[in-house]
Amino acid sequence: MTQHRTPRARRRAQAALDRRSFLKGAAGLSVATPLLFSGTGRAQGAHPKRLVIFFTPNGTRQEDFWPYFDWNIFDGPKSETDWPLTPILNPLADHKSDLIILDGVRQRSTSLGPGDGHQKGMGHLLTGMPLQEGTLFEGGGDSGTAGWAGGISIDQHIANAIGENTKFPSLEFGVRTLGATVWSRMCYAGAGQPIPPDNDPNTAFNRIFGELDGDPAEVARLRHRRQSVLDFVIDEFNTLNPSLGADDRIKLDQHLTAVREIEQRLESESQPAAGCMTPDFGAAMGLDPLAVDNFPLVGQLQMDLLAMSLACDLTRVASIQWTKSVGDVPMTWLGINEGHHALSHEGDSNTTAQNKLRDINIWYAQQLNYLIEKLKSIPEGNGTVFDNTLIVWCNELGKGNSHTRNKIPFVLAGSAGGALTTGRYLDFDNLINPGAPHNNLWVSVMNAMGVEGNTFGHPLHCDGALEGLA
Amino acid sequence: MPGRALFLSAALVLLVGCPGTTPDDNLEPSAEPEPTVSGPGPGSLLPFRPAPDDNLEPSAEPEPTAEPEPNAGPEPEPSAEPEPDPNDPALLCAPTAAPSPIRRLTRTEYNHVLRDLLGIESAPASSFVPDETALGFDNNAAALWVSQILAEQYQEAAEQSAGQTTQQLLALTDCDPAVTSEQTCAGQLIADFGLRAYRRPLSPDEQTRLMTVYDAVRAAPGETYVTALAAVVEALLQSPHFLYRVEHGTGDSDGDGLTKLSDWEMASRLSFLIYNSMPDDELFAAAAAGELSSLAQIEAQARRMLEDDRAQPAFKNFHWQWLHLDPIDYLTKDAAMFPGFNQTVRGLLEQENEAFLRGITQDGTGSLDDLLLSQTTYLNDTLADHYGVDSTGLGAALTEVTLDEHRAGILTQGALLSVLAKTNQTSPILRGVFVRERLLCEPLPSPPDDVDIQPPDPDPNLSTRERFAQHTEDPNCQSCHELIDPVGFGLEDFDAVGRYRTTENGQLVDASGQILYSFEGDGMFNGAVGLAQMLAAEDKVQNCYVSQWFRFGYGRQETADDICALDYLKTTFDESGRNIHELVVALTKTPAFRYRRQEEVTP
Repeated sequence: MTQHRTPRARRRAQAALDRRSFLKGAAGLSVATPLLFSGTGRAQGAHPKRLVIFFTPNGTRQEDFWPYFDWNIFDGPKSETDWPLTPILNPLADHKSDLIILDGVRQRSTSLGPGDGHQKGMGHLLTGMPLQEGTLFEGGGDSGTAGWAGGISIDQHIANAIGENTKFPSLEFGVRTLGATVWSRMCYAGAGQPIPPDNDPNTAFNRIFGELDGDPAEVARLRHRRQSVLDFVIDEFNTLNPSLGADDRIKLDQHLTAVREIEQRLESESQPAAGCMTPDFGAAMGLDPLAVDNFPLVGQLQMDLLAMSLACDLTRVASIQWTKSVGDVPMTWLGINEGHHALSHEGDSNTTAQNKLRDINIWYAQQLNYLIEKLKSIPEGNGTVFDNTLIVWCNELGKGNSHTRNKIPFVLAGSAGGALTTGRYLDFDNLINPGAPHNNLWVSVMNAMGVEGNTFGHPLHCDGALEGLA
Repeated sequence: MPGRALFLSAALVLLVGCPGTTPDDNLEPSAEPEPTVSGPGPGSLLPFRPAPDDNLEPSAEPEPTAEPEPNAGPEPEPSAEPEPDPNDPALLCAPTAAPSPIRRLTRTEYNHVLRDLLGIESAPASSFVPDETALGFDNNAAALWVSQILAEQYQEAAEQSAGQTTQQLLALTDCDPAVTSEQTCAGQLIADFGLRAYRRPLSPDEQTRLMTVYDAVRAAPGETYVTALAAVVEALLQSPHFLYRVEHGTGDSDGDGLTKLSDWEMASRLSFLIYNSMPDDELFAAAAAGELSSLAQIEAQARRMLEDDRAQPAFKNFHWQWLHLDPIDYLTKDAAMFPGFNQTVRGLLEQENEAFLRGITQDGTGSLDDLLLSQTTYLNDTLADHYGVDSTGLGAALTEVTLDEHRAGILTQGALLSVLAKTNQTSPILRGVFVRERLLCEPLPSPPDDVDIQPPDPDPNLSTRERFAQHTEDPNCQSCHELIDPVGFGLEDFDAVGRYRTTENGQLVDASGQILYSFEGDGMFNGAVGLAQMLAAEDKVQNCYVSQWFRFGYGRQETADDICALDYLKTTFDESGRNIHELVVALTKTPAFRYRRQEEVTP
């Protein structure tokens, strides 16, 4: 086993080779300019579908969120298409016809495996798999400890299928996620491989847009140099890894895969699209990304970067994670001095606290609104980038003080290029069948994104796509 | 503290209790020839070590007197061993040692290594994505891996670091490409710098492949001798042999599944344990001379290093992670409630803690008792005002002061108390969980799953203690919170920014506390000082401190294979008067430190 190239890396290597051969034959160049590749990778006229995961933590204020509030049982007439806005959904009023509100979706898989409520909620959310057994994190369950999530997350699963032609298969943005534990990771490249989000818009900017420009000779020099360096580095891994024990070898093979991805990227070219512009940070450049006062601005900059990396087709799968499970940012700009997590533990009858929880979730809805507006402002074909995008607003819990993983406040925004019929409220709670497993939602999402399959996550808690969604 | 007699009996238990340990279990060769190594003298392998004060200026060390053996293999000749020490814990505990997973540099280690290797003080890894953290420590090998973004950040840091320093590196070499040739000088830099980057001599094959990098880049348009060598530095800084602590050992000679570490590997184990960084000159020289295998040699190095100032960042690193103090860096408090808690005060609280730790860990006399009970801290005028204590005679500089009777040790420091609080009030829960999990090593059960809890509304006229008392009334909450809240209640004599108080909301503070079901006795105490005294008297705290050092020092969770070593550490620590340096020295003596389990390799 000397080759650990991922399928994506293999395909990209082949594509790069093809492009290079073509260019050599056509123009005698070994390195191409970005312009030459414009438009490759997709059919003329068709626009790529994009997926955005939009995470906010600690459950919601249930009574202020659902168009029809109840727990489990049908208690009145509900309209699929003419449903009322609520305080928390109201900031999205302009886009009501683009939304799908998914009531009664449960993280059923969290009945399996180790971990406490928050750990499970976070680790299962995008993976639908039990946490790994292990001693990494103190928490609940019979063993009292848990490991990382036990499977690939849905965004990465989709990125593996649709991300191969873009510079980044996926991009992970964070806003003050802090820490690096099972509470603060939702995206996984595979079991036990948590993907850290970038919390700093400055470094994210440099990573994503830093090398778009440049003198061609200098770009060529840098490429050649990096190629020589990476050849050596890859050789070192190839020599070392086979001599390691199994666990160590898995780690270093994962590292090698990442280095190979960098190498492949040397060959890939960006494909400037119509609405593609490098975001301008202005005076915000260099701001401290962890300062509480900067939280709203950091979030906005991250969404600007996210939107533009979709518009520029630098990636087709992105996520933005606001804080983390148990995130405790005090939203002082709303006049709230208590941390979010602390508030989420207050009782239902504590009106002061509940009003603050409502306001916190309203604020998050306003951020989602900002992202939707942003994507709608970027033209693509006869419409906008938003038309080809699906955003999933998700949360690790239904409600903070009980740590329930039922009635997770899932909202879909956008149709993924018409794959979904939007403007709807769907309730999966009924007397016969309370709730639907969230793994079914991920099947629906991957299908909407053009990725085939009828199961995702733990098979015990997945029986196909969400009924009536597609 | 138990006396010598108790220790001896404990040692006897160790002897009897550990499987397969007889005096004949001799892992140390006893009849080796006299040392024949006539290797290079100290310093000769180390042409690039920057002087501490003027980075990258040639150091005042003597000129190299000998070149390293060309093509020296990774392993030096084995040196002579003294007679086995009957107290060698490796003998007592052999042959048990859990697997030691490969350890990747943490961000802290990476920063330290770039400082020591290239004189880079800018801590480039601080902008890397955070290290995965398990059981409170960021160096747990099982949790760490390299994500895509981290691999890219390694690349960027390598390119920037190489670009900044290669010219200066060359200025330190005595090879003049105009006199010999660029190729010759490049080869010399590869061998010399490569040794320091990989923390062992490069193999001939590695040197050849690095020359290939050099040649390929040198030949490209726009590149120069210097930029081509910078590419070599970049390559080394992205290699697994740099980013990980690769260990193969010297081979399992007796079939027990364990292998002794090579002297180069031992140099790294020592330096990463005590400096959280690469080996220093003395360690490299000792490894080159084959003088890092006997218990005495290792111990002598450990003791030397502990006195070195480079040990201080590691002591801080351990204690900050153990005590979860990191959040102080970005802590905010309710401005209306605590208007004085600004960035200046936050910074001073951190400095106070640093000075306190330094005072205890610097000179080798400091103990766990000092951490918990010391009557010394370090204040300046601003910080004294923050605490509301007399600032007479204090200026801008932190000055050693003696605490009043309400305060003692780490538990009453503003840094810790501010972190273990909410923005606008104290948190008996955070404080109670901290004492249980960090100081007593008692993991707590998680909240009941999916139970709809209906805590009553808080009454703003009640004290914090009264508002939290409801936890122990609700049967859903009681089973856990009776373990947590009463511990935190005992710290109610300090507010959310670490100030001593006797009243809250106009009511007298009740700071009586209780640690239930943890150790013998009723566990009752009063106030922070009472808690500190109770904890200082508890073996459980002492053993927890040892376990935390084990996890930090070895980068992994303890396993059943480590019971004997842990017993040894606990006994040694206890017998030393709970001396912190002695504990670290003991960490260098266990089989877990000196051997590695040979992993099965599946090709």
